[in-house]
Amino acid sequence: MKTVDIIERIEGEAKLHLSWKNGKVQDAHIAFLNFRGFEYMLQNKPALDALVYTPRICGICGQAHLYATVNALENIYSNANIPLEITPKAKSLRQLGLIIEIIQSHIKWFYYFIMPDINQQSHHFDEKFVPLKGQSWLKAQEASSSIVKALATFAGQWPHTSYMIPGGVVSDPTFMDMIFVENYIDKAISFFEKQMVGVDLSHYLSFSNAEDITHIQGDVNQFIQMSFEQGFDTIGQSHDRFFVISDDLGFAKGKIKNKNTVKVDLNKIEESSAFTFELDVQKQKKEKYTWAKTVKYDNLFYETGPLARALVQNRKQIKSLHKEYEDTILTRVMARVDEIAFLLHQSKELLQSISLNEASFIEPKIALKEIDEGFGLGVIEATRGSLQHKVDIKNGLIQRYDVITPTVWNLGPGNSLDYGVAQKAIIGVKSLHEATMILRSFDVCSVCTTH
Amino acid sequence: MGNKPKVVWLQALTCNGNTQSFLSSNATRFEHFLNAFDLVYHPSLTHQMTLSNLLNSSFDIDFLLVEGAITANTNFFSLVNKSVKDILQQLVQRSMYVVSVGSCASYGGIHAKFERNSDISGVQNSLDNLLPRSQHPIVNLTGCPVHPEWILQTLFTLQTKKSIQLDSTHRPVELYSHLAHHGCVRNEYFEWKVESKSFGLKEGCLFYDQGCRGPMTHSSCNKILWNDISSKTRVGMPCIGCTEFDFPKENLFETKKNIGIPAEVPLGISKRAYLSLTGVAKTFKIERLNKKIIDENS
Repeated sequence: MKTVDIIERIEGEAKLHLSWKNGKVQDAHIAFLNFRGFEYMLQNKPALDALVYTPRICGICGQAHLYATVNALENIYSNANIPLEITPKAKSLRQLGLIIEIIQSHIKWFYYFIMPDINQQSHHFDEKFVPLKGQSWLKAQEASSSIVKALATFAGQWPHTSYMIPGGVVSDPTFMDMIFVENYIDKAISFFEKQMVGVDLSHYLSFSNAEDITHIQGDVNQFIQMSFEQGFDTIGQSHDRFFVISDDLGFAKGKIKNKNTVKVDLNKIEESSAFTFELDVQKQKKEKYTWAKTVKYDNLFYETGPLARALVQNRKQIKSLHKEYEDTILTRVMARVDEIAFLLHQSKELLQSISLNEASFIEPKIALKEIDEGFGLGVIEATRGSLQHKVDIKNGLIQRYDVITPTVWNLGPGNSLDYGVAQKAIIGVKSLHEATMILRSFDVCSVCTTH
Repeated sequence: MGNKPKVVWLQALTCNGNTQSFLSSNATRFEHFLNAFDLVYHPSLTHQMTLSNLLNSSFDIDFLLVEGAITANTNFFSLVNKSVKDILQQLVQRSMYVVSVGSCASYGGIHAKFERNSDISGVQNSLDNLLPRSQHPIVNLTGCPVHPEWILQTLFTLQTKKSIQLDSTHRPVELYSHLAHHGCVRNEYFEWKVESKSFGLKEGCLFYDQGCRGPMTHSSCNKILWNDISSKTRVGMPCIGCTEFDFPKENLFETKKNIGIPAEVPLGISKRAYLSLTGVAKTFKIERLNKKIIDENS
């Protein structure tokens, strides 16, 4: 039996093709059918304009694209041996912006994309998780719209600011501005403590083994109960290989294969279009079924994102959950929850260390348009995982721009000889609900996947 | 409950930025919206209603909000196996009012820059003269993204007054008659022609070198502040003109000049008037405006 279902509430939609045998998924194809062509749009555009274009790849993770672009453009300078000075202050304001964006995204994902479905299927259905009506849903809207005020304080607005620029950041916040930022971070901490986990942040951060999840109260406790009820501690396993591209924001860079954490060599990342639609309809082939590309490291699929980051960084609570429950839905969701705590803590540290007396921006000695030819690589850890931008410029204009998003790592297509990460995680499940929840556990972003 | 106006949010070629902007509404205002309207379908938010459910139903829609550019080319974009142009036309006929949320829905926006698909445009151009049931013209809320308050105020106004006054490009005049420049905290630097020496400073106007389009751009970004807090120009980012129909232009971070004079002068001001005033203003060297605005050493 074959089924085709449209999956919504994933920042766009995807088509899930499943083949069933004896009540289990035997083969799965995930198709993203919408393509916007950002890499094509950027051709022949002035290099700096990429700072306005790439955030618009994605409305929910635009700051990650902005950061990746600014890294790529600054890398052009270093590849051309032109010294460029970025002050620690500018760097901290960039990191803080990305951290805030990741936190608001994780909150929305948990309450808008995970809880409604899992609640609906539970025998312990709770009105408070119902979209647009439930108290927890509404509190999540308040919390996510509140923490972005911290970002707007030094970035002007969210979404879609381009406050990072080669040489630093455009803004020069005051001490009071940064106190205001801290107030909103503290408000987010309070939301995390009171609404999500029901324990103090410091207590939460001291959790170090799998049993500690029994101390969690609040909405996350209900998630955990419902997960066990629906068997989400036993499904969703994939290749169990993990990849983190950048150590910015306090993460650790590296990969895990066969439980060993080792360094990564970015030259081993390879993108392919074997299953990806052609722009030219005449060249379409049968095996091409999605606009997403495929990306592998050293010819293997790797999972990227919060679970990968927690494991590569050796965060104890998630490490022990992974040991107990493997790379299941439960572990993946808890890794995102855990990352909220980690990043809230990181943002407080950043605020402590920032020195406002430094310059926000130091003008590069040469403008990008004065560099005849150049190449730049920018990598960053975005909400959903590893993000890479590559740019070639000539006489100030972009010749080629290539983006590999986290969701390409996780949702990119493979075939039965070698399944992609999410694809493999779905094989063997017993219902569409299980398959959908596994997809959701990767925090699918359809617009990023195909860009 | 049942009498609340029904709102449907359709997403076409989009980054979801307007949805994210909408979700970043002031929480009190957002809750007020949810109490006053019935958001029956939104692809990221509603749990029970899917797009297929919506298209198979026949209830009257009060407000159709469209996010994203429209295309009939299903090689690049389709929803539930249909072209989004067909879906749009079907829904418009069921709707009392139609609002284009954001620059992409208004005229194609950044998505129209993907030239391999030559069939990308805004809602109005995709309707083949079709109008919603009220015969009210399509309302364009430009902006990349649109400010959430602009959406809320438009909806509440249409609900109360049944119509809204629009400019020649179908934008509500009350939201788009001001310029982004109005209310910018750097205005005094503009008055006395003091340019910002570089990015990353509180001082100076971004119009002269950094490419700020505030004086040429219709928007209330500095009147209705972003996230209740600030705006791009307030913190030091040039206005990129994202509420105008020619967005995105090129070289957004530098001011195009001819012999040292900005190629574009503030809207409705003749070049002669602008140059005369600039000439006079520049003869005064105003010490206060050339110093740090906050002097930590004083």
